[in-house]
Amino acid sequence: MLRRKRWLFAILAILPTLALFAWLRMYPIFETLRLSLHKWDILSKNKPFIGLANFKELLGDRLFHEALLNTTIIAFGVLIITIPTAMVLAAMIHYRTRSRLSGFYETAIFLPHVVSLVPAAMAWKWIFDARLGPLNAVLTALGFEPQAWLFDPTLSVISVIVLCSWQALGYAVLIYLVGFKSLPVSLFEAAKLDGASGPQSFWFLSIPMLKPITLYVSVVTLVSGFNVYAQAFVLASDAQGAPGRQVRVLVLDMLENSFRNYRVGYAASEAVVLLLIVLVLTLVQFSLLRERGRA
Amino acid sequence: MACVSKLSRHPLPGSHRRALLGSALGLAAIALAPAVSAQEIRVWSGYPELAPFYEHVAEGMKAQYPDLSVKVEAIALREHEKRLALGLTSGEAAEVIELGTSTATRYLENGLFNEAPAEVTAFVQDPANFNEFFRDSASYEGTVYGLPLFRGQSALYYNTEMFEAAGLTEPPAAMADYTKYAEALTKRDANGTPTVSGWSMRLSGGGQGIAEKFWINMFQYGESLVEQDANGMWKADFANEQGRAALKQYLENVHTLKTVTIEMPADAEAFEREQTAMFIRESWVIGDIAAKAPDLPYATATLPRGSIVAPVSLWISGEGAEAEAAWAFAQAANEPDNLLWLLDNVGWLPNRSDLDYSAILEAKPALAAFVDYPDSYEFFSLPNIGPVEEILTRTAARLTEAFANPALATDDAAIDAVLVATQDEINGLLEREGLLAQ
Repeated sequence: MLRRKRWLFAILAILPTLALFAWLRMYPIFETLRLSLHKWDILSKNKPFIGLANFKELLGDRLFHEALLNTTIIAFGVLIITIPTAMVLAAMIHYRTRSRLSGFYETAIFLPHVVSLVPAAMAWKWIFDARLGPLNAVLTALGFEPQAWLFDPTLSVISVIVLCSWQALGYAVLIYLVGFKSLPVSLFEAAKLDGASGPQSFWFLSIPMLKPITLYVSVVTLVSGFNVYAQAFVLASDAQGAPGRQVRVLVLDMLENSFRNYRVGYAASEAVVLLLIVLVLTLVQFSLLRERGRA
Repeated sequence: MACVSKLSRHPLPGSHRRALLGSALGLAAIALAPAVSAQEIRVWSGYPELAPFYEHVAEGMKAQYPDLSVKVEAIALREHEKRLALGLTSGEAAEVIELGTSTATRYLENGLFNEAPAEVTAFVQDPANFNEFFRDSASYEGTVYGLPLFRGQSALYYNTEMFEAAGLTEPPAAMADYTKYAEALTKRDANGTPTVSGWSMRLSGGGQGIAEKFWINMFQYGESLVEQDANGMWKADFANEQGRAALKQYLENVHTLKTVTIEMPADAEAFEREQTAMFIRESWVIGDIAAKAPDLPYATATLPRGSIVAPVSLWISGEGAEAEAAWAFAQAANEPDNLLWLLDNVGWLPNRSDLDYSAILEAKPALAAFVDYPDSYEFFSLPNIGPVEEILTRTAARLTEAFANPALATDDAAIDAVLVATQDEINGLLEREGLLAQ
């Protein structure tokens, strides 16, 4: 009887949270799935069911393909830059905690994560400016040719990757720092006694033992990488146009289809594709890192 | 009152009771007064520079509507379009909505704007007030829904000092001359890199503006992005000599002659800072120059063949007293004094016919290119069809790609291939919506 009461109490306690989660998270997902099978212009009361026609159209839509390719490159680019850099930076901060500046290092690296996204992107827009930007000034001083960072098709994608990585790094370092603090000191002492150098301990002990942290950070980084929007928008937007090449990413394409082209059903089908990609990649990451972790 | 008696240990005498009731009613009346008499309407605009105009109109209504409060919310056009899509469908939109006809058509098809009351209909349909083009731009299936307000119309802006320094005495008369002028006007550093562009063209950035600007240029060669047939259907058919001339002109200027580069400062801002010698834009730039670069030596000229006209009207949503006040506001905005204030202070061209611009033209001769044009001057406007935004956005994406490709500049066959692909994509969109002409 007491057990049943406790169980009931637990259910009642968790119910408001579950209800909120269902309303704010699950319902929009199911509604998006439903909309993806309909033709809807957001204004009309009619939403005719069109089956998989939206998905069929996506297969031949070059702007969607461009957005998908750009988003994938950006997401993996950010992942490839963020994970190793964050791990190395966290290790350096963790093993140099005796430095008086360790607090400053942590803050300096974490700060970009809490800085509001739009002003940060505006600052990077200035850094990447082809004529007045400090990046080209440095390149010129070093004898290199200045580059049209925000206009060249390849460089503009790289610029978005740099901006996203800069923002993602702080959070990843913070999580890795927590991971480093939880590693057993005895193992490192034993390795040291066996003659292992610092880099060897890092490579053969820290990295394998940090796999759960790496799994978490990589999933979060990859998911947020696939959701990139504001960075691409701000880097190429301006009140009077002609500021930079628009790097088409999935979220931007969805917004354009929803509110400029009035094709909400079609945009929903893009959202479903994005959801599937993120789900599959997350499952792959889980299986890869968990399997290796067990081995 | 019965309740008060019951709660009172010592029942109040009748006079006291009446006094208390009177006070309570008086207080209630004071508390409710603002809710009953004060009235607020909101104005949603997609042009931030128009906020002072709407505030000026509201100020002028104070004598007749002392309790009317007008809240002007003017934001960038693309964001404005997004809030409309969400606001009108959820019933949260402003009462007065400013919107171009090409986009408003979707909302009219779905009955999201109010039909104009009889006196507004009579005002709009009076040929003395508006010509047929603007009457149609505020109507749907023969019924008036909006009040025509202003229009976007393009002309050439050129820096007179730079023209003089380059030995150019007249603005270019033919579209092909624009390239020659651009070449003569471009300033370069010792390495030959352009520092001041001869002709600022819309080459990059997000949105449909790139396609609109391309259409304006192509129109000067005699071609359009889409054209309507006798049955009211539409077709893109610009993969021809005229289309090639328009696209090739961009490519020649960017890649062959380098009179402008993709990363150079562009548009009105560059013109105001004397970083470009000429560019094509709407009349609002005159107001912008007056505010930001009042000493800029410049003049305007009509385009070789004609211009785009993008009519913008005020539409009303909501019901009851708010809707009535909103119509009153839209009518006030169309008062001659207010429209002249709009032209003089903001620079957008009023749509109303019976206005005397002479005093403003004398003070601002640059406006002449927008109101005094040759009889043969032609106009075109964006089609009032559902997929117009998608057509322009997708065309803009193709053009951006083409502008960035130097290999196209000297390869006519490759230019034609780009035009065919763009044209086919537009026709595919028209076919999808059942609008493609045979």
